[in-house]
Amino acid sequence: MRQIARLTAALLRAYLRDRIALFFSLIVPLMLMVIFGYLNLGEFGRVSLAIDDQAKNSASDQLTTILKGIDTLDVTESSTDAALTKLRRTELDMLVVIPADFAIAPARPGQTVPQVTVYGDDARPQQVAVGRQIIASVIDRISFAVTQTAPVVGVKDESVQGVRLRYVDFLVPGILGVNIMQLAVFSVAFALVADKQRGVLRRIMATPVRIANLLTAHVITRLFIATGQVAVLLIVALVLFNVTIVGGLGPLVVVALLGTLLFLTIGFALAGWAQTENQVPAIAQLITLPQFFFSGVFFSKNAAPEVIRPITNLLPLTFLNDALREISVQGASLWDVRTQIAGLIVWIGLGFLLAVRLFRFERF
Amino acid sequence: MPPIVQVADLRKRYGEIEAVRGISFDVQQGEVFGMLGPNGAGKTTTVEILEGLRKADTGSARVAGVDVFADPSGVKQRIGVQLQASAFPEHLTARETVDFFAACYDLDVDAIGLLRAVELDERAGQLQERLSGGQRQRLSIATALVNSPQVLFLDEPTTGLDPQARRNLWGLIQSIRRGGTTVFLTTHYLDEAEVLCDRVAIMDQGRIVAMDPPRKLIGDLLARGFTKPVAQQQASLEDVFLDLTGHELREA
Repeated sequence: MRQIARLTAALLRAYLRDRIALFFSLIVPLMLMVIFGYLNLGEFGRVSLAIDDQAKNSASDQLTTILKGIDTLDVTESSTDAALTKLRRTELDMLVVIPADFAIAPARPGQTVPQVTVYGDDARPQQVAVGRQIIASVIDRISFAVTQTAPVVGVKDESVQGVRLRYVDFLVPGILGVNIMQLAVFSVAFALVADKQRGVLRRIMATPVRIANLLTAHVITRLFIATGQVAVLLIVALVLFNVTIVGGLGPLVVVALLGTLLFLTIGFALAGWAQTENQVPAIAQLITLPQFFFSGVFFSKNAAPEVIRPITNLLPLTFLNDALREISVQGASLWDVRTQIAGLIVWIGLGFLLAVRLFRFERF
Repeated sequence: MPPIVQVADLRKRYGEIEAVRGISFDVQQGEVFGMLGPNGAGKTTTVEILEGLRKADTGSARVAGVDVFADPSGVKQRIGVQLQASAFPEHLTARETVDFFAACYDLDVDAIGLLRAVELDERAGQLQERLSGGQRQRLSIATALVNSPQVLFLDEPTTGLDPQARRNLWGLIQSIRRGGTTVFLTTHYLDEAEVLCDRVAIMDQGRIVAMDPPRKLIGDLLARGFTKPVAQQQASLEDVFLDLTGHELREA
């Protein structure tokens, strides 16, 4: 333990003195957030949404009323056919079809739950992503209120009215996710391959240090840096963009650290494989770039072509972004995002196996 | 006293190339033992096998009473090393570098005391990457001494240093030897071996071709009737250089 603490202290001190590493782990993510935050704030506008209410009962009324009360949404009522035509002409962003059997009641065993269908315009992925999050969030809240034993109607209305999802609210969890990925993959791979090439690892291997302790120290160092990075990004998001974070900071940090761990294993695997520093960016980009675009960082992951969606839905960053976003935007608990957490854990296991296979200290 | 390094019939092959072809030798406790040879003779491979960094194909090696192949970690506990073409972690000061290596051995050391021993205490707070070549070699020796090793391995310690820094390092190696530490060094500077080593082994193409005290090797050669085509001058160009520029270290 003491050895790990001493090694971690040294690595952390060295990391904090490394201006270039700090630049990439703090300044670049901030720039990404500021640029995309401002870039899209102005032109994003509102999400136009048509509702086809086939139920016409009190429950569907309640849902429609709540959606109409949300600032970000521009709600009209329309038949499905008419709305789909408009959707195809990009005159409309989204269509929500409320089925005839719609009800807000706890599901009884053996009974099917009413399905609300949401159509989105693929040409406006950012608006659709935000719209979907809002609808999911509203339905979650209504269902949640019903399944509670205590009367929470008043509270429910208030909190539902509070859902004013803007693009930047949608964007911030994505930025967090992508930066966690970049930091973990690039910083570990570059640092260790440089150490390997310069002979630093050989020199360390000439001491009887326990390799597991050295690797643990590297991992803890990055977890510290990642925590700092998440904190800075969140503070800037809150101060500069007045971002709403509905869920708890605790779950957000837990998921962020799981994500860091996952991408660290990939970074270690890459560092083990690469022989020169020049090989690192090429392979790192190959790993991170598809996730950058298809894992729902800047727009919904559903913007990916349908054919590859079964794959993109299983990408590590998709699990991370989904979990971060559900916590941040919909106020999900860790239990609510257990599927994503399970996905992250499976990837951590795979990454760990790969890293152990490729990272052989004895060879340096 | 048993030899502190015992090597018998050591062999190492890299693909087609047989880098070490069955060498045997002993190093006595307290001596400075030099391994000489042209580049590619197998010196570094031999040293790295003894340091527990490489596996030999066959043969046996004991260092400080420990079987290198059975317990490489035990050997690493008992020796200090300075590797050729190695580096320290970046962005740490000289003092922090010594502490980092002490942490690798899980030991507490007097970092300033070690730096003083290599005349580097005034640079304790300086980042190691800003040290000069000679200073970095001395820092390297300080890090090799954190565990008070029984044997100190130095792989070409003076390569790339100016004459002043070389002389300074020789003095340091002699003072370490006076402290009772056995020193095993490789070099391809013959004057260095002549000044420092009690015994030298000359390696060529993976074999030891001669092993004796330097004076005896020279005596044997002369006894075979060897004469230089040009009479030996009483001073060398290096003597002229040092006479003109002095023996003091030149460091920024």
